[in-house]
Amino acid sequence: MMAMSPIDPRLQEALDGERDPGTLPMDLREAYARLMGAANLLQTLPAVSVAARVMAEIHDLKPEVQSVRPARRLMRWLARPRAVTLRLRPAWTLALVAGLAAILLIPTQPTNRPSPGAHEGIAQFVGHFPGARSVEVVGSFNDWSRGSLHLRDEHHDGIWHGAAVLPAGPHEYMFIVDGERWVPDPLAGRYVDDGFGAGRENSLLIVRPAQASLDEDATPR
Amino acid sequence: MRRAKPLQIRDEALPLRVTLMVNDGPPAPTDVEVVARVLGGDGEAFGILIRRYEPGLLRFATRMLGNPDAAADAVAESLVRAYRHLAQCRDPARLRSWLYRITGNRCRSHLARRRTNDISLSEAPPLADASDSWAVLERGEQVALVERALNALPAEKREAFVLKHVEGMSYEEMAAVTGARIPTLKMRVHRAREALLAALEELV
Repeated sequence: MMAMSPIDPRLQEALDGERDPGTLPMDLREAYARLMGAANLLQTLPAVSVAARVMAEIHDLKPEVQSVRPARRLMRWLARPRAVTLRLRPAWTLALVAGLAAILLIPTQPTNRPSPGAHEGIAQFVGHFPGARSVEVVGSFNDWSRGSLHLRDEHHDGIWHGAAVLPAGPHEYMFIVDGERWVPDPLAGRYVDDGFGAGRENSLLIVRPAQASLDEDATPR
Repeated sequence: MRRAKPLQIRDEALPLRVTLMVNDGPPAPTDVEVVARVLGGDGEAFGILIRRYEPGLLRFATRMLGNPDAAADAVAESLVRAYRHLAQCRDPARLRSWLYRITGNRCRSHLARRRTNDISLSEAPPLADASDSWAVLERGEQVALVERALNALPAEKREAFVLKHVEGMSYEEMAAVTGARIPTLKMRVHRAREALLAALEELV
């Protein structure tokens, strides 16, 4: 391993474009030229191409958003147990935090629930998005496809909620607000890396089988 | 100097005329437009994005992995992944950053599988005679020497140096690609420069 010593801050400034390299002393100018020359050598573009390989590989694939054709989406919509809206009773005179806490704590109505199968559970989604025109949920359970799970703000108080029957197990998801803004669920409690780096995370919910806990809903916590 | 006038076009119209002649075809579609086409079902349009970004991605991956074949695999896998998850690209106007992020992740996974962040020197091209001066080395030998010095850097510093000085990114874009904070990236770039300069002085 070669010895490494700090280089003059003026050289760093010149390399960052914050100083005219012409103003550097001769020795620093040589170091500047050496590093920039090295960078120029590394800028040589590879002569290979993977374009044909990639196009062949994606030929039979569809981006997730178009993986479900309208007719197939309709069939899936008809076949899939639908989300049921639960009447939550947030005390609107309370502060937001108390309201959200109340929403999470108020027992949900047992009627009108879909009937989850042996390996399914009910997932409830709640988010506070005042002023939002629409909120929907996309996730691993619907192939990240939009249009299948819309939340509702029935009381026009900015609290959007909805529920869906999902297979038991972990599911990653995100809210899409007003059709364009992707927002993790602040109440999720658990998050996982979205796989694309940059530290961004998807919300995670774990759905428990309904039969394992008859009256407990699987909430994204 | 007075320029020749085509037909009856007056001088003040000449710049417009020239512009029309140069811009023969329609303007290239923006990334946002291409992404919309792909998501709308025109899968072939993804080829536009490949042609636009493949060279830089391949160069980035090659510099990160030190191996052209591994880099080609990483870029191909990244582009397929990008295609499949294109709907998750939250800001198509910054598609370049998104693609570099996916490719960077792929490279990191590849490096992790090697169980070391150091590129095997056996993969590096043979060195020129160390007694030769920099000026007399052929360009290919110079490239090999610089690659060898770059590959001796830890992966994070190598990535920072390549994004900054090879791909020409701003620190803001580097932050979007790597997820690291700008002060952290500046520190990595500074340290990489120091190490690279020391390595080059030792090699040549």
